[in-house]
Amino acid sequence: MSLQIIINGVATGAVYALIATGFALIFNVLKFSNFSHGATMMTAAFAAYFVAASKGMGLAATLAAAVIAGALIGIFGEFVGFRRITLNHSSPTYFFVSSITLGTLYEGLITIKVGSNFYNYPGFFTHSSVKLGSLVVSSSDIMMLVISITALAVLAYVIQKTRLGRALRAVSFDRDTAQLMGIDSTRIIQLTFIMSGILAGAAGVFLGIKYTLYPSLGSLVVKGFIASVIGGLGSLTGAVIGAVLLGIVETILLSLLGSGYNTIATFAIMLIFLLVRPQGIAGSNIQEKA
Amino acid sequence: MALVSNILTQVCISLIAVAGVYVLTGLTGMFSLGQAAFMAIGSYASGLLVVKAGLPLVPACILAVAVAVAVGYLIGYPVVRLRRDYISLVTLGFGEAIAALLNRMTSLTGGASGLTGIPRKTTLLIAFISSAAAVCLTAFFKTSKYGRQCVALKGDELAARAMGIHVTRIKMTAFLLSVGLTAYSGCLYAFYMSYVDPTGFGWKKSADWVIMVFFGGVNSLTGSVLGAFILSALPQALRSLQNYRYVIYAVLVLLIINFKPSGLLGEWELTPRNIKRTAGRLRGRKKETGGKS
Amino acid sequence: MKKVLSLIVIAAMALSLAGCGGSGTQATTAGTEAKAGTEKQSEEKEAPAAEGGEILIGCLQDITGSTSALGMSVQAGAQAAVDEINANGGINGKTLKMNTYDTKGDVTEAVNAYITAVTVDQVKLIVGPPVANIANAIKETSEGYDVPIMGLAMDPACQLKEDGTAYKNMFCFQPSATTQGEIMAAFAVKNGLKTFGVLYNQENSYSVSLLNPFLDELGENGITVEDKLIVAYGAADTDYKTLLQPIVSAGVDAVYCPNYTQQLVAIVTAASELGYEGKIIAGLDAAPAFNTTYGGDCSNVYYINNINTEDGATAEKAAAVEDKISAVNKYFLGYDIVKVAEKCLAENGDGDVAALREKIANISGFSGLTGTINIDPNTHMPKDMGMFMYTYDNQTPVMLEEFSN
Repeated sequence: MSLQIIINGVATGAVYALIATGFALIFNVLKFSNFSHGATMMTAAFAAYFVAASKGMGLAATLAAAVIAGALIGIFGEFVGFRRITLNHSSPTYFFVSSITLGTLYEGLITIKVGSNFYNYPGFFTHSSVKLGSLVVSSSDIMMLVISITALAVLAYVIQKTRLGRALRAVSFDRDTAQLMGIDSTRIIQLTFIMSGILAGAAGVFLGIKYTLYPSLGSLVVKGFIASVIGGLGSLTGAVIGAVLLGIVETILLSLLGSGYNTIATFAIMLIFLLVRPQGIAGSNIQEKA
Repeated sequence: MALVSNILTQVCISLIAVAGVYVLTGLTGMFSLGQAAFMAIGSYASGLLVVKAGLPLVPACILAVAVAVAVGYLIGYPVVRLRRDYISLVTLGFGEAIAALLNRMTSLTGGASGLTGIPRKTTLLIAFISSAAAVCLTAFFKTSKYGRQCVALKGDELAARAMGIHVTRIKMTAFLLSVGLTAYSGCLYAFYMSYVDPTGFGWKKSADWVIMVFFGGVNSLTGSVLGAFILSALPQALRSLQNYRYVIYAVLVLLIINFKPSGLLGEWELTPRNIKRTAGRLRGRKKETGGKS
Repeated sequence: MKKVLSLIVIAAMALSLAGCGGSGTQATTAGTEAKAGTEKQSEEKEAPAAEGGEILIGCLQDITGSTSALGMSVQAGAQAAVDEINANGGINGKTLKMNTYDTKGDVTEAVNAYITAVTVDQVKLIVGPPVANIANAIKETSEGYDVPIMGLAMDPACQLKEDGTAYKNMFCFQPSATTQGEIMAAFAVKNGLKTFGVLYNQENSYSVSLLNPFLDELGENGITVEDKLIVAYGAADTDYKTLLQPIVSAGVDAVYCPNYTQQLVAIVTAASELGYEGKIIAGLDAAPAFNTTYGGDCSNVYYINNINTEDGATAEKAAAVEDKISAVNKYFLGYDIVKVAEKCLAENGDGDVAALREKIANISGFSGLTGTINIDPNTHMPKDMGMFMYTYDNQTPVMLEEFSN
């Protein structure tokens, strides 16, 4: 019984992790909370639905479509919403305003397209869940966990071991200096948005499988935000750990206290955590600056 | 006419909240995603005091604002001590917790069905006077010692501290002022709508207010007021465009943020001296063009 | 100096409040003024109607926002009826025109939309939303105007004041939440279901309003549901499996789920993943397109519906719109409202609003696609209106029984 709740918590955490990684990636480089990430997930999920899933193609094709859509939306968003702000060296708050507005824009456009109907991906799995004795794990959760871990591993490899990753870290550390060293920081930022968009696409599909498709699906980005703050802003590993912890804590509180009070308890725990360990789980060292 | 006065009343009510956000975000550089929760506290507290406790309107409003400020003090304690990145998170979580609480306390608040039966008292005149007073109050705050200290610590907290500014206390003052204003706008809202439900007070609403401040000019109170006016009236003006109107709204805000990042008015404030100067400049320009032709 | 000034300003704020608090009479005079204003307006608006030969009605729905699928379905049904009426020569020779007003699923927006409809466009009547919060928000405002709202808010509080009298403009055209909850419980008991669990959305007034009628009816049949099996959830909760866990492990016969379609799909998915084998009793929202949205075998779902698809004419119409409309029953409700409106407007002719309201309040024996509509003039809600219990055979809806209360 209680083991089952932990399993459910990990499954929820896996969704949050996928959201939080894409979120943290942008934070890592541009130092702002990209709230358009949620709408990007939702838009990519819908795009994949229309391009692939509604035509009877399987999960792989749908994921591929979503990932491509996410990347395109990411690059579009960077150009429309953030390019000029980056070049102007405006304060991070401008990014924040821009990202929320961008989210409103995507949501508005999708509402016009899908307004009057319910959408859901067709069942991708022949067995919706796997039973281990008295424990139940749903197939999509396992898949999600696997994909989260894989994506994270690939991302970690790219960031730590490749030239691109080094450039990305340099830009993240100091954009201007990196530029002086011959790194095209605009290009790197573009690439970051593409990577974040890819993660958003994957996350969108799994959210769609779990909660059906609707225009405000992206509001779950808030969970990714919380997870990445708890994890230590900008740290990818921290974001994943934060997400899984958040999932488990939420689930345990939900089963103990019921809905409503669990939200309040989660808030209280989060507050205490931030006061006790303000640098987050990973303890990343972002300078104390606005 | 009824429509215009209805929209104006609503604009005035949100103007009060936006003035609060200006103090918090524009002056002090703190970001709250839970500001709307204080509006919820204000409207629920005042509504409940009148409906359930039978208090007259004025004491109910004063008490409601006091309750909100007290809650604000509790939340403010960690908020002003935490890193800025975390403020938005803490306030966000706080907003969610308040919404959950309002939904859960069904016997008191009516839960999801909302609180009905609040008398309708707010008129356009009251809303207008209140918003004018709120804006004046904010303007005084901005030009006062506190306001200047706020701007200083927004620019560089470390330097401000080195200059002997009591950073946490100033932040707390600004936070509480903004909470009080927002709660008061909630009171007016409750007595205008005569119905409150827990849905409309999420982080999206708080973010909307921040967008209004930025749209008009984050460093200018006049700009913020103008931004609030334009952006709250815009969706109403565009009503005939149906669901395209939020797309247009978003595009407009994106354009401003991209091409005029300091907002519509930049740092310009509506003061007698500035008016004179601008008028003079306009006259000068007219003379110039007149001379050319 | 500044301190003094700010004190003065605060005092001004308080005084302006005191001004309104002390003068209850002032508010009422304002109210009568507003009324006088609208009367003047209604005189004005009749003139152009006669010249242009057009009757304008409004449709106040959630076109965007979380319940947009419902709003758009009602709107489509209402529009279909308007088109049909115009194709048959309109009302007393005048064409019927319908404007749609988006409430965005937000109560403040709804009041704006309502006031736009009644003051700027001066509509004759309004096709209202199927969402209780919206109706709750506009009911007080509507008292100040003379435009009937023919809505679908099934929470009786939307139509009735606290003293039990009806809001003059608020009408509901589907059986109340009380009726629907009772029907579902009666059906469950009749079908031999003995133990129940409940999963409802405490942040949704529709879901909440269906909870107690169901439990009360069960109680009358000697069945009590354990407190720990009545599980609430909210928008912030993302884990339906943990919520369902105690219900499923208690091995209940049926879970009562009065929730919106999207959440219902997620809940049924979670239940099947948990290996739940009992029945699921859901409200209107499990009607098609729930089956196609869910996409799996939904034979264990019972649901209530306004329309009888075994009936030839209804089935034909339903088949024609199924592909375009997500909530077919809402489409029919919208359609029926406009049909009722047509009848009342035609009979009322050039009569005033009070007469029109009287006509609407006394509709009886109107045979619509959602059943026979008899409005109770005291409650402004339908009485003796039939509802139909359905289940699915795999994915095909099967009508089981008609209930009327």
